[in-house]
Amino acid sequence: MNLEVAPERSRPALSSEQDSFEALFKAEYGRVAGIANRVLGDAQEAEDVAQEVFIDFHRLHSARAQYAAAWLYRASAHTALNRLRGRRRREKREHAAAHDESGQALDPQRVAEANEQRRRLRTALARLPKKPAAVLVLRSSGLSYAEVAEAIGVSTGQIGTLLRRAEAALRKEVNRESPE
Amino acid sequence: MSHLSEGALRRMFDDPNAVTGTEREHFASCTECQGRYAQTSADATAASRLLTVPAATFDADAAYRRVTAAPSSQSPRFGWRLPILRQSARRPIAVLAFAVALAVIATASVNVSQIFAPTQVKPVPVSVADLQSLPDLSTYGTFAWSKEPTPQVGVPQADAEKTAGFSAPKTGTLPAGVSTNVTYIAVPQAVATFTFSAAKAEAAAAAQGKTLPKMPAGMDGSTLTLTVGPALIEVFGELPQGANASDASQLALPQLIVAASKAPVVTSSGVSASELEDYLLKQPGITPALAADIKALSDPTHTLPIPVPVGYATSSNVTVQGVQGVALGDNTGAGAAVIWIKGNVYFVGGSLKQSDLVSIANGLT
Repeated sequence: MNLEVAPERSRPALSSEQDSFEALFKAEYGRVAGIANRVLGDAQEAEDVAQEVFIDFHRLHSARAQYAAAWLYRASAHTALNRLRGRRRREKREHAAAHDESGQALDPQRVAEANEQRRRLRTALARLPKKPAAVLVLRSSGLSYAEVAEAIGVSTGQIGTLLRRAEAALRKEVNRESPE
Repeated sequence: MSHLSEGALRRMFDDPNAVTGTEREHFASCTECQGRYAQTSADATAASRLLTVPAATFDADAAYRRVTAAPSSQSPRFGWRLPILRQSARRPIAVLAFAVALAVIATASVNVSQIFAPTQVKPVPVSVADLQSLPDLSTYGTFAWSKEPTPQVGVPQADAEKTAGFSAPKTGTLPAGVSTNVTYIAVPQAVATFTFSAAKAEAAAAAQGKTLPKMPAGMDGSTLTLTVGPALIEVFGELPQGANASDASQLALPQLIVAASKAPVVTSSGVSASELEDYLLKQPGITPALAADIKALSDPTHTLPIPVPVGYATSSNVTVQGVQGVALGDNTGAGAAVIWIKGNVYFVGGSLKQSDLVSIANGLT
């Protein structure tokens, strides 16, 4: 795995800002929504976040800005993490999801365990400071070290350390949630 | 050699080739590093498992159609936002805008169609009491953009220059610590029209139990047309990027902003500048001190008044690029700016000392 080089995404030269925005949207939407989904575990809500992020970006920035993709990734992670912190709503939804899944003739114990694991992760992620939480989410969404670094505004050389500390912090938070 | 850093061990987990040969040799013979790697590896594996989500596919085409079909509930693109634009700051901004409009109008020369085309800048002290008592400009008529300001943030330099119609100012030597990474913002020319309405003004005044002086003949229905820009703005350093761009409180004052704009022009139809001055300076809420300061400006048609909030900012006259400019702020580094007109209106500001900003301003080419 190449850790240092951000993959080039070639985009054709475009005449208007709107054309550039459309190209940016279509090139990055899947990844931006994927980052939000990694946090929220809810594809529909992730799409809401992705669309909100693109609209915010379009209001303030040129789609031809070099930092466009990095901005979108970071905003997606942060916006999704913000939503996660609205915990009561999420817990209600996960309760409902558990009932839905339970009705699909799956092993109730496995469903309950999976839901419990998801709940612990979301709770732990919501407790982590934003930067380590974003590093975890962006990296696990498939961004290279260089892309994560650009998104959160640090040097690539710092990512290994940030990632290591974020993973250790996540373990502690998850264990705190259910000490064994 | 010393033990491998936690970052190196973590990189090794993702890519065994990410460490140097020396590090690899050390690792092969160091049980302590091997133990730390085991914990690193366990944490990374556990995090990866926890963060796994069911595969989801996202239809970008459909999402784009949804986004572009939705009616825009957002305000037009006004680009750059600073903490000053928080909701709580809207009222002061509105009255400050009135102060500028008032100063521009009231200082204009007599009855010419182009009543304002500044070639120099001068400070006008504005006290908090002035700001609090100023009336809302919107109660005197209708303000409308015929060409809205549509800033484009992060465009290539060449595009910004093309929009502005002039070259981007080049800075000389910058103080240590100021990034040379520049984000360009292009602001195309914008045109706004203000149409006076006697009925609207009287109704608004009556609602507040006030009586307005009578509008001069020909003022009701007459228009002022304000043309601003095009402008080109250079932001040095990392552009503040809030997680949620609509939360302006997350944005901070950049280290350095250099901006250049075509000078604003105001034209009037149907009413003379002296009539406007007489009328506006008689409005309830205009303090005698503010009126006196505005009247004291010499060569008003060609002077751009810079409102300086008394007690919050200090101003001084400085010579920049051989012309007189206004410096705001101080040498604390909390924030300062220099404004001058030499063909275009120039602004150099940021979280630097005033003396540094004056040096940068003088070094512009």
